[in-house]
Amino acid sequence: MPHISLAAEKIGILFGFPISNSLLTTWLVMGILALFSLLATRNLSLVPSPIQSVAELVVGGLYSFFSGVAGKSHIRLFFPLIASLFLFIIIANWFGLLPGVGTVGFFRHEEFVPILRGATADLNTTLALAVTAVVAIQYFGFKTVGSHYTMRFVNLKNPISFFLGILEIISEVSKIVSFAFRLFGNIFAGEVLLTVIAFLVPFIVPLPFLMLEIFVGFIQALVFSMLTAVFLNVAVSHGGGESHG
Amino acid sequence: MEQLGIEPTLLLAQIINFSIIVFVLTRLLYKPILGILEKRKKEIEESLARAEKLKREEEKFKQKGEKLLDEARREGRKILEEAKKQGKLAEKEIIAEAHNEASDIVKKGKTEVVRMEEEMEKGVRQQAVTLAIAMAKRLLTAVLSEKDQHRVISEQLKELEKVVE
Repeated sequence: MPHISLAAEKIGILFGFPISNSLLTTWLVMGILALFSLLATRNLSLVPSPIQSVAELVVGGLYSFFSGVAGKSHIRLFFPLIASLFLFIIIANWFGLLPGVGTVGFFRHEEFVPILRGATADLNTTLALAVTAVVAIQYFGFKTVGSHYTMRFVNLKNPISFFLGILEIISEVSKIVSFAFRLFGNIFAGEVLLTVIAFLVPFIVPLPFLMLEIFVGFIQALVFSMLTAVFLNVAVSHGGGESHG
Repeated sequence: MEQLGIEPTLLLAQIINFSIIVFVLTRLLYKPILGILEKRKKEIEESLARAEKLKREEEKFKQKGEKLLDEARREGRKILEEAKKQGKLAEKEIIAEAHNEASDIVKKGKTEVVRMEEEMEKGVRQQAVTLAIAMAKRLLTAVLSEKDQHRVISEQLKELEKVVE
């Protein structure tokens, strides 16, 4: 039977700090992104080099797309967070599909431990992204709307508003959970699916599923970043709507 | 939580990792790329505006040139016409002058001719008188005495003087 583990396996412990295989992959993805950025913006010019035009295509495309979702007025503020979410998730998702990731490893106590594991196929990563996104949403909401933003959660004007505030708090917490589990569930399920299919029929048959997973990787990155954009938009327009209403 | 693989240390590590990604990508990718995109947009807009301006200026110059050419042509025609007119005027003047001169010459010639005729007549008369005197002298010496001669001659001379005058 192929090895399937819900939790990321630990490779070792460095200075008392546990190193999991998905953490290793995260670092690799970070390295790829940083290297690409460095190469793309090393010699910036108005007449772009090939890699610069790729970067322009990606960044410019994301910028215009998300300014349509989050509104033109705040996109400058939100863009680093949203675009980083998208780029990190999509590269991490696709990195998990590379051959060798999840299959190259060693045995410890009769148990297989892969050296690399898709970064987003670990709840720690997705939960970290979700927590960062939701905290950032609150931060940007507070920053743009001001102290009035707390009225969204704690409102003592009337019982209905108070109750709505409690619901809002619950909804923010549930956002973290849904963000984290949606991404983790999709990517982990994809990897399990690929493992099982490859175990049953090693040749040709996994190909369509691989294509599907590439597509899912893109869609999940898009969903995560777009939902963040939408929530950000709601957060910064919340106080405005309240004061007008 | 244990079974899902969630560990606080790893969770914290991933949060820090993602924060680093946001920071690094903002510094290395978004800012420079968006900056250059903005710069290029501005550049393109500026060059388009410049091209439009140049085009408009060119058209203006063209119109100006055409106007100038038109004016020059009109002026040239005017000058030509004036020159023709002046030429005709000069022609007329010259012809008139020539006419005058010619009539002057003719007049002068006529008076000269009249004067010469008179002179000739005078000469002819004088010659006729001397001829007559000589003839008379010869005839009279044969016929008349010296005394009669003198008388007749003087009488004749008196008469001749009357004629000459």
